[in-house]
Amino acid sequence: MAKVDSKKNSILAELYSTFFSKSWPMWVGGILLGVGNIALFLVLKPWGASGGIYVWGANLYNSVFSTGFGFKGGPLPAVGMFPYSIICFLLFLGAMGAALMSKQFAFRFPPAGEILKGLIGGVIMGIGAMVGKSCTLGGFFSGMAALSVGAVVFTIGLGLGTWIAVKYLMFEITRFPKISSGKTASVLGAGKGKGAWQPYVGALVLIWGLIIAFKYTDSSSVRAWYAAIGLFFGFVCQRSRFCLVRALREPFTSGDSKPAIGAMAGILVAMFGFTVIKFMGIRDAMLWVWPHFWIPAIIGGIVFGIGMTISGGCIVGSLWRAGEGHIKLYFALIGAALTMPFATKYIATPLYSALPTSMQTKVFLPDYVGYGASIGIFAVFFLAWYYLVKWNERTGKFSAY
Amino acid sequence: MQSDQVLDCKGLSCPMPIMKLAITMKKFETDKVLELLTTDPGSKEDVPAWCERTGNDLLETVEEGDGFAFFIRKG
Repeated sequence: MAKVDSKKNSILAELYSTFFSKSWPMWVGGILLGVGNIALFLVLKPWGASGGIYVWGANLYNSVFSTGFGFKGGPLPAVGMFPYSIICFLLFLGAMGAALMSKQFAFRFPPAGEILKGLIGGVIMGIGAMVGKSCTLGGFFSGMAALSVGAVVFTIGLGLGTWIAVKYLMFEITRFPKISSGKTASVLGAGKGKGAWQPYVGALVLIWGLIIAFKYTDSSSVRAWYAAIGLFFGFVCQRSRFCLVRALREPFTSGDSKPAIGAMAGILVAMFGFTVIKFMGIRDAMLWVWPHFWIPAIIGGIVFGIGMTISGGCIVGSLWRAGEGHIKLYFALIGAALTMPFATKYIATPLYSALPTSMQTKVFLPDYVGYGASIGIFAVFFLAWYYLVKWNERTGKFSAY
Repeated sequence: MQSDQVLDCKGLSCPMPIMKLAITMKKFETDKVLELLTTDPGSKEDVPAWCERTGNDLLETVEEGDGFAFFIRKG
């Protein structure tokens, strides 16, 4: 019998190792996130993150200072009632569970200068997201899949912002290396002979996340599914180290094309599902086509791109890295959440009222050329993007090293 | 393993370890060995991939304490 038992253990050990011993390829992560995004759209709407973080920040201000912030011209929803705030929190939990399961969790305290960069990057992201009405999801990962031309403009802005901030980082590391060096600490980490507890706690964290999702089924099955899919997103992001910042940044730094290809894989999968959903009229075709074409999209994209490159994670990237324990990214999220309500009131709202309506429109490509040609145009765009990152990887033309 | 210089990137998250590594290696002499210390789980895959792409030799990876020590010879 002992023999059978040991065989059983080894099968389970093999299963564990399949999921948790090595990081998954980024394109696998991209495809899974694309599928999750389609599921989310079927439940209600596509994936987004900046709205969720705004609601966190605005609720905090309203409860402490009675600031009276609203949301998109209406009353402010409670954090536990707003699907995107729930997704953000469950994504964080899913990533924490995955990091613990794979013994990669530790509270990692970087030098003080890095914490400040996290905070500043977060503040800049908060401004960019409110001006551009999107983050890397609404204006890139989900926005392109929704066939929004504004998302293409926002993404080009992200690329420009990333390029600017990479220049800054190179300058900083060369001229002011002290900013990123100094006293650091790592707490609760796993390593040789320690951290055997992590996978067990990781399983508990994931079960807790599922219980949260299940509890919502009483009040709203939509929120329950949002929670479950959020948990899945966090799990996949951490295991594949899926990163939309890297997708745009690596061509300017190391030249690595894998993150960009991961992003493309996810967008293409989601685009297929979104197009079916929109074409068949299952959901409103204008969903995730934001009124930011083209001035707010380009400005917001550049600003957000600068912020995410300085902090080292967009909203989603910061959430899953925070789940893994990187203190810098907690500060990025705090910076974004605390900035967004004020950025909306004092920067985005005045900007939108000053701009002519022709410069802040929703442009849904199929309205102009039909669905077939839209897919064709995006296919050419992705092929060109793929060719460019692969060519750059070989030649190092745009890469710093 | 012996190294000629240590680059401490403990506590740093992506992209700082790889960017600091790349900038340090630029000024490094050929055949000298740099010891890179990191705690970011991503460096486990990113550092070997970077070495391969840039033609530097990753002589040894040691998992120690909460992170990694990479011994890289400039190629």
